[in-house]
Amino acid sequence: MTTSAPITALLQVSLPNAARPAVVTVGILYFTVIVGISIWAARRTRTANDFFVAGKGIGLIALTVASVSVSVSGFAFIGGPGFIYAVGLGAMYIVLPAAVTNVMGAWVLAKRMRLLGEARSLITIPDAIGARYRSRAAQGLSAVAILVGIVGYMATNALAMGVVINAIFDVGLGWGIWIGMGVTLAYSASGGILAGIYNDVFQGTLMAVASVLVFLFVLGFGGGLGDISRTILAHDPVLLGPWGKITPLAALSFFFIFSMGSLGQPQAVHKYYMLRDPLQLKWYPLLKTVGLILVLLLYFSVGVGVKAFVLDGRLAPLTSPDQATPALLLNVTPIVLAALVFSGVAAATMSAANSFINIGAAIVTHDLPIAFGRRVKNELRWGRAVTVLIAIAAAVTAQRSGAMVAFLGIFGWGLFASTLVPALAVGLNWQGATRSGAMASIATGLVVTLALETAAYFKVFTFPAGVTASAVAMVASFLVFFVVSWLTRRRAAGELDPDVRLVMEL
Amino acid sequence: MTETSTSEGRIESDITRRLALQALFISVLAIAIGYAAAFRRAGTPVWAAWLLAIGIPVALGAIMILGATRGRRGIGPLKLPFLFVVATLAIGFGAALALPATEGPLSKLWLGLPVRAAIVIYGVGLLPIIVLPIAYALTFESQTLSAEDVERVRAVARERMRREGETGQDSVENERGI
Repeated sequence: MTTSAPITALLQVSLPNAARPAVVTVGILYFTVIVGISIWAARRTRTANDFFVAGKGIGLIALTVASVSVSVSGFAFIGGPGFIYAVGLGAMYIVLPAAVTNVMGAWVLAKRMRLLGEARSLITIPDAIGARYRSRAAQGLSAVAILVGIVGYMATNALAMGVVINAIFDVGLGWGIWIGMGVTLAYSASGGILAGIYNDVFQGTLMAVASVLVFLFVLGFGGGLGDISRTILAHDPVLLGPWGKITPLAALSFFFIFSMGSLGQPQAVHKYYMLRDPLQLKWYPLLKTVGLILVLLLYFSVGVGVKAFVLDGRLAPLTSPDQATPALLLNVTPIVLAALVFSGVAAATMSAANSFINIGAAIVTHDLPIAFGRRVKNELRWGRAVTVLIAIAAAVTAQRSGAMVAFLGIFGWGLFASTLVPALAVGLNWQGATRSGAMASIATGLVVTLALETAAYFKVFTFPAGVTASAVAMVASFLVFFVVSWLTRRRAAGELDPDVRLVMEL
Repeated sequence: MTETSTSEGRIESDITRRLALQALFISVLAIAIGYAAAFRRAGTPVWAAWLLAIGIPVALGAIMILGATRGRRGIGPLKLPFLFVVATLAIGFGAALALPATEGPLSKLWLGLPVRAAIVIYGVGLLPIIVLPIAYALTFESQTLSAEDVERVRAVARERMRREGETGQDSVENERGI
């Protein structure tokens, strides 16, 4: 839900130096646990199935916490509170969809993805699209779309990691990038998604603990939400209006993109394959929603809390909105809490990076060869090799060009949403969807997103307030999907295999 | 989209799916019109936001219904939770758009927030959490997945593997026209 944003948010943040003994100590402890889990996972990873989908043997609690971890990024800790500080409650429309996205994903995708995995031994999202439409071309096209999104995510996550690790250890941005990517690479290449999942469990728990503690601290320090609100209302009441300082259209756009778009985020959807027992899906939405709410408490409380503390003079005015969390942590909260949050931010970026590395490696070694009618003989070995290449490429890109990295990071969420939601989420639930409709929809999402984001980035034109390339691409992709499927509807029945039909009818 | 069958349950399920698809298409179209209106030289009209405020809840409700519809049961007891959530989101957004801006130092607070903010944060952001995941869990065996369903899929998978073992190819390889 919020994985997209760290990117631009963290890139624009120059975090203050937080290298105090407590912060460094907690940081070292954090990395020690990560290394320990990775060594344990590496010993249990023996096949490509282990490497890419954890042998489909993850329990409910582990999968839930891991899924929360990859769904939330550093944005929830740094950029998001800063966004609330700047524009008020309008920024909440990025996270409010969490109330519906998990259960929506469960109804629309979880059961069918998990059962398809059972029926066909699938391991990737393009696998599911290939099986649904009985099409190598659709599988290949969706793989390309995901790979394009991952290129952006990886470079920006590498840079975000560098920013955070530099803040904790004061080692410089370049070393921060290489240390962060190095550790992530070590556990991604050795233990694959198994290491990723159990590190995500640790990282997600850390994020939730840090978030709840900060939330309680802010409420206590501010005298409760009522007093915080009174302070803001006395100085700048628009911030606590239902849209804050953004337009209703912009706020509703956030809600649309981050709710419907959640159905196309591979790092979350991919997890459905991994659950050991499909019947455990019963409690998955409830547990994940509760977990997400806990992690997002910091987002809201720091945003409004710091605004009130600055307005009543208890905190000095911020140099930029993105300093809201660092300013609170380094000036007001106990330093141990600051240490936990900084490690939590590092955890968020590493968790996302690991997920994307793994998905990217699966696309290169599994989906693209299948699209060309080939099979890689040793997917585990090649998966590890590609994992190394992706991580190094991301770290090099992150170091070389800040402007390019910022550009790459902008469109990830929207690209996944516009290319995958109609073909995957609607396609798995509508037998009338056709291969042509799916491919036209994926191509529309890819082309429209890239064209509009490029044009906007180079200021060829400016979108009206509230309209974004992601939103336009997603609605265009939906409409093309429906229209082309309708035009080619006579082919629909012939494109469904009996086992896929059964999965869709259950 | 239309699966021919004479069974009453199947037809009901078919109708539910068709209505959900139509609702999804119309709501996405409404959202698209809302965005298109924002490009007008005269500025974004007020009704553009209303199209999103109604279109988004309907689109989310429709895609959830599409996912939850199954076999003879249609969406069964899930009608009420879906209706509740679509209505909650639409009323929440609508209230935020329609209610006058009265936020100020003397505003009455609801659970620590002024009225319109409370409607959005607690109504849109929290109420669905109380209803939807619980409804999902309570109806899971009847409406989503049972042990019998899983066994049916596993049986089909075993049969498929047996056939592929005999012919040495899978369905993707059978694809024509690529």
